Amino acid sequence: MNPEPHSDLLLSVKNLKVHFQGVGPVAKAVNGVDFKVRRRQTVCIVGESGCGKTVTALAILGLLKQPPAVIAGGEIFFDGLSLFDLPASQMRNLRGKRIAMVFQEPMTSLNPVFTIGDQVGEAVLVHEEVSDDQARRRTIQLLYDVGIVEPEKRLNDYPHQLSGGQRQRVMIAMALACEPDLIIADEPTTALDVTVQAQILRLLKRLKQDKEMAIQYITHDLGVVAAIADHVYVMYAGVVVEQGSADAIFSKARHPYTMALLDSLPTKEKRGQRLYSIPGSVPHPAYRPLGCPFHPRCRYCEPSCEKAFPDFFDYGKGHEARCPVLYKSGVGEKDR
Amino acid sequence: MLAFFGRSVIQKIVTLFFVSVVSFLIIHLAPGEPSQIDPLNPKFTPEMVERMRKEFNLDKPLHIQYLLFYRNLFNGRIVSWRDNLPVLGKIWERFLNSLPLFIVGTLLTWTISFPVGIRSAIQRDGIYDKSTTFLSYLLISIPGFFFAYILIIFVVTKLHVPVIGMETFGVTASSPLVRIMDRTWHLVLPSILGATGGVAVLSRYVRGQMLEIIGQDYVRTARAKGLSSETVYYKHALRNALLPFVTMFGLILPGLIGGSVIIESIFSWPGMGRMAYEAILGRDYPVILTINFLTAVLVLAGTLVSDLLYMVVDPRIKI
Ligand SMILES: Nc1ncnc2c1ncn2[C@@H]1O[C@H](COP(=O)(O)OP(=O)(O)O)[C@@H](O)[C@H]1O
Ligand SMILES: [Mg+2]
Repeated sequence: MNPEPHSDLLLSVKNLKVHFQGVGPVAKAVNGVDFKVRRRQTVCIVGESGCGKTVTALAILGLLKQPPAVIAGGEIFFDGLSLFDLPASQMRNLRGKRIAMVFQEPMTSLNPVFTIGDQVGEAVLVHEEVSDDQARRRTIQLLYDVGIVEPEKRLNDYPHQLSGGQRQRVMIAMALACEPDLIIADEPTTALDVTVQAQILRLLKRLKQDKEMAIQYITHDLGVVAAIADHVYVMYAGVVVEQGSADAIFSKARHPYTMALLDSLPTKEKRGQRLYSIPGSVPHPAYRPLGCPFHPRCRYCEPSCEKAFPDFFDYGKGHEARCPVLYKSGVGEKDR
Repeated sequence: MLAFFGRSVIQKIVTLFFVSVVSFLIIHLAPGEPSQIDPLNPKFTPEMVERMRKEFNLDKPLHIQYLLFYRNLFNGRIVSWRDNLPVLGKIWERFLNSLPLFIVGTLLTWTISFPVGIRSAIQRDGIYDKSTTFLSYLLISIPGFFFAYILIIFVVTKLHVPVIGMETFGVTASSPLVRIMDRTWHLVLPSILGATGGVAVLSRYVRGQMLEIIGQDYVRTARAKGLSSETVYYKHALRNALLPFVTMFGLILPGLIGGSVIIESIFSWPGMGRMAYEAILGRDYPVILTINFLTAVLVLAGTLVSDLLYMVVDPRIKI
């Protein structure tokens, strides 16, 4: 059962495992992920691409195609409801109404043959008993809220008539349609250029304040994390390797992977220097190394890392990291 | 829009001109001539052959022949070399015979293929999908005529449905109701056979198209909104999956005149396909070239219709 039924805990994912069974070995794309999102909180899930962020998000909304995906274990609680036990019809009522999602690719995420007014209005109409006219007015208001200029006129535009940034605004308007408790934003700005990215981030921050929503923000960019996060989960190869408040992650990172991500972040101090990049790449989920999945790329790697992957070490105030080497040696504390 | 239409029509007329030249040349390059159709026939004297060549303008240079032929075609004065009957009248009569076959066959093909293809795609790899896949490939790989004869044997011996020709011999004397029933019965087997091949291919195509669209990001978006699977599939996915078929819709127009040679031959159906086939065997140039020309006109008109329809259904295409 949900351990904190009446608290401000909104979403809790426990030991989630999602595997892909194709030809060849099983790909353990998500391999035991735990995280929590509280009401009105912005939680960032950060990690390189391929580490299982999108699959985790789709699992929450029940949008994974099964097969090939298999939920191999774990539980997800949303506001006291166990999502994996929910009948399909109730899960559908939850989608869009209480949990909404903004996808990574604004160019392909809108249906090319319907107007944006139709598509946003549909999100209202599916969950609420309103007349077409009321839905229309809501749609105009929503488009206005996300910063679309002259929304009455844009209502009849088709997605191809909009820029990438505008399309992402429309996607956000669609997500906001029923004022959900949680918005899952999966790299909403990755496909956009930097200035538009900043605008969208500001928009999300403002909307979160106005509508009192929680946001689960997925990104591979720590720069974005710094701009919006309350709490951060660092994911690597299907597992969470470190979590903590945004402050803790940026000032006292305790996992070599987090530290490496921070080192590869461009900052003012590092201006003119060659940027650090982590050697190697995320291993394919079907061919992960034994022990700590990060050890082949880790500069602190010890022989024991190749054999076992220990649990989290607690650094207080909800800050935890899964690296025994740094825990024992205290490296990192003097570095930062 | 109007400019597009005008430009398109002019382009198509130019294309039509080249088609007319090329088909004319091909016919004349092909070995054999109407005057030589039966050279060993002792009744055919060299003088007769010569007279025939003169009669049909075959002794004139090719470009003159070309001009004479198309002048006659546009004047409607063109006649068959076999029986001296006006070609357009002959074609019209055969066309009316082929029309019911074409309409029923096409309706069957489209109304069966779409539901089958869509359902297979939605229930991908399910029993329904697997059995329709098996059946389609079976029907695609069995030659049409072979399948036709098997069906004929079955239908004639077990169900006593008439299968040969358009109506039962001598039925003309009966009441109109009996005649209509008789004609309808005669339509059944050839239309079903005409449709089977089409259904097998088209339903596969619909399935593939639908599967591709179901994998698109915007279909996932539709699901994420909390829409029911019916709305997701039949509104968001289907509308996109249908787009390419709008193009095909224009292209079924030429089928109006082509008819089906095999089906019409098997069932002794006096339609267009058989007439074209017989005209080719008999080197009846006026009939061949007229059918060819009309087919070209319909193909070009079909593409124009497709383009216009596409503009209506796909908001991304505007001219
Ligand atoms: N439909 C699928 N079939 C097989 N493997 C998949 C599928 N979707 C995702 N994966 C695998 O799962 C892993 C995690 O993917 P994803 O969650 O998209 O990563 P990201 O963190 O970049 O969002 C990847 O290695 C990917 O290859
Ligand atoms: Mg992703």
